[in-house]
Amino acid sequence: MSTAPPLLVVDNLEAGYGQINVLHRLSLTVNQGEIVTIIGANGAGKTTTLMCISGVVKTRAGNITFDGQSITGVPAHSVVRLGLSQSPEGRKIFPRLTVRENLEMGAFTRRDHDGMRADIQKAYTMFPILEKRQSQPGGLLSGGEQQMLAIARALMSRPKLLLLDEPSLGLAPQIVVQIFDVIRELNKQGMSVLLVEQNARMALKVAHRGYVLETGRITFTDKADVLLHDPRIRQAYLGE
Amino acid sequence: MFESIAAALGPEIYQYLLAGLVTGLLYALIALGYTMVYGIIELINFAHGDLFMLGAFFSLQLAIWVGAAGAKGQATGEFAVLAVAIMLVAAPVFCAALNVTVDRVVYKPLRNAPKLAPLVSAIGVSFIFMNIGVFWMGTYDLNFPELIPPTNLTPGYRVEFTYQHLMVIVVTLPVMVALTLFVRYTALGKAMRATAQNPTAAQLMGINVDRVIAATFAIGGALAGVAAVVYGLYVNSAGYQMGFQTGLFAFTAAVLGGIGNIPGAVLGGILIGLIEKLGTGYVGDQWRQPLIFAILIVILIFRPNGILGARTREKV
Ligand SMILES: Nc1ncnc2c1ncn2[C@@H]1O[C@H](COP(=O)(O)OP(=O)(O)O)[C@@H](O)[C@H]1O
Ligand SMILES: [Mg+2]
Repeated sequence: MSTAPPLLVVDNLEAGYGQINVLHRLSLTVNQGEIVTIIGANGAGKTTTLMCISGVVKTRAGNITFDGQSITGVPAHSVVRLGLSQSPEGRKIFPRLTVRENLEMGAFTRRDHDGMRADIQKAYTMFPILEKRQSQPGGLLSGGEQQMLAIARALMSRPKLLLLDEPSLGLAPQIVVQIFDVIRELNKQGMSVLLVEQNARMALKVAHRGYVLETGRITFTDKADVLLHDPRIRQAYLGE
Repeated sequence: MFESIAAALGPEIYQYLLAGLVTGLLYALIALGYTMVYGIIELINFAHGDLFMLGAFFSLQLAIWVGAAGAKGQATGEFAVLAVAIMLVAAPVFCAALNVTVDRVVYKPLRNAPKLAPLVSAIGVSFIFMNIGVFWMGTYDLNFPELIPPTNLTPGYRVEFTYQHLMVIVVTLPVMVALTLFVRYTALGKAMRATAQNPTAAQLMGINVDRVIAATFAIGGALAGVAAVVYGLYVNSAGYQMGFQTGLFAFTAAVLGGIGNIPGAVLGGILIGLIEKLGTGYVGDQWRQPLIFAILIVILIFRPNGILGARTREKV
C-alpha cells in the first residue's frame, strides 16, 4: 500500500432514523486492494454504515468519497454505476426471479450483453451450485446458496469495491468457510472489500485491517492480526 | 356433461358467458392498475376507479369535440372512426398523466409514512375525482355515443356476437399480451418486477425506484384509460359514479386473483365478469352486488392471498 489515495473515505459520518442518530462522527477508509472489516455487536450500526455508503440511507452530516469523487447524497441507483456494489444483510434475493435472472439484475447497469454472459459463466465457476439451480426461483434456494447468489449478483456490476454485510449470518460452518475462501480469492484477484461481520474471528482472519464499532462509534482500529490478539477484543468479540 | 348442464340452464347460457367474458376483460384491465400499484408500493389505490370514470368523461368530451357526439353524448353518425382512434390514443395518455401527477403530489411525500396515510389519501383523491366528474358532466347519467354498432355478426347462431363484443376483445386482449411481454422482457419491466419483490435490493442493483413507481402509475393509468374508452363504447353510458362500482368490482377481481399478481388480475377479472353476468341472468340483477361483495369477503377470509397470490413471498 503506497501513497495512492484510499478508494473509500468515510469522514465524520452521521446518520440515523427518525429522531435517533445511529452513527456518530464515524470515519474509516478502505485502500485499493484491501479487505477491511467492521466488527461490532448487533445494533451497533454496521448495516446503517454500509447503507449510507451505498446511498440507501441518507447521511445527516459528514462526507463519503469514493474513487476520488464525493458520493455524499448520491442516490443508490447512481452509486452502483460508479463501481460500488453491495451484498446486503439478509441477502435480499429476488424470490420470484430465477437464479439466472437474479444475476442479470445484478448487471442492470450494464449494456454489454456478451460481457454479462461471460460474467454469469464466471459466477457459475465460482459457485457451481448456482449453475445447477439457474432456472429455480431465488426464493427456493437454501440460505448458503442465497448468500452465494447475493455475492455473485453484487459482482455482476463489475465493482471496484464490494460491500458485504454479514455474509456468514445463519450459515453452517463449512459454508461459512467456503464463502470466506471466495472472499479471499476475489481479493487476490484485486477486489477491494469492506466486510461487515458479527463473526469477528472469521472476519479478522481474512481482513487486512479492522474497525470496531460500538453504538455508532469507532472505538478501535488497527491491523486485523493486532485486533485478533488484543485482549479487549478477544474478551468482547471473540468470546474469551 | 356440459351439454346437459347447458340444456338445463337454457340457451341463454351462451349469451351470459359471452357477456361475462367481455365484461370480465374490462374488469381485468382496471384490476391490472390496482394490482400493479399494489405490487410495487403496497398501496390500494382507491382512486383508480374514479380515474377510470374521468377517462370515460374525457373520451366523451373528445367525441363531442370531434363532432362524433352531440352535447348529450348521442352519436351524430359522423366521424365515428376518427373519434374512436383519437380516444384510444388520448384517453390512456390523459389517465396516465393524471395518475402519475397524483402519485407525485399525494402519495410520494407519504412513501415512508405509515401505510394508513397514503390509503386514506387515496380515498380522498377518489372523492376529489368524483367531484371533478360532477363539475365536468353533472350528476345525471349520460349517453356515451354508440360509435361501434351492436350489429350482430353471427345471425342464425345461438349467440349474438356483435361488433361491440368484437371491439372489446380486439382491444383488451392485445393490450394484456403486450403488458405481459413488456413486464417479462423489457429492462423497465424487469425493474418493476425486481422493485415489487425487494425495493432495497432493486436500488442496490442500480434501479431508480422512484422512476419505476412513476412508470407503474403511468401504465396502470393508461390501462384504465383504455378500459374507459372500451367500456364507454360497449355500455354506451357514463356517469360520475361509474368508477365507484366498476372500480370495486375490478378491485375484487384483483384480490380474487391475488393482489400484486398480473395474471391473477386477468383471471380474477374474467371470473368476476362471469359471476356477475351469470348471477344477473339466473338470480336477478338485485343480487349482483351482494353476490360480488360476498365473494370478496369469502376470499379475504379463506384465501387472503387470492387464487394465484404470491406463494413464494419472501420473509426474512
Ligand atoms: N429502518 C430502521 N428504522 C429505525 N431504526 C433502525 C432501522 N434500521 C436500524 N435501526 C436501528 O439502528 C441501530 C443500528 O442498526 P444496524 O445498523 O442495523 O446495526 P447492525 O447492522 O450493527 O446490527 C439499531 O438500534 C437499530 O434498531
Ligand atoms: Mg446489520
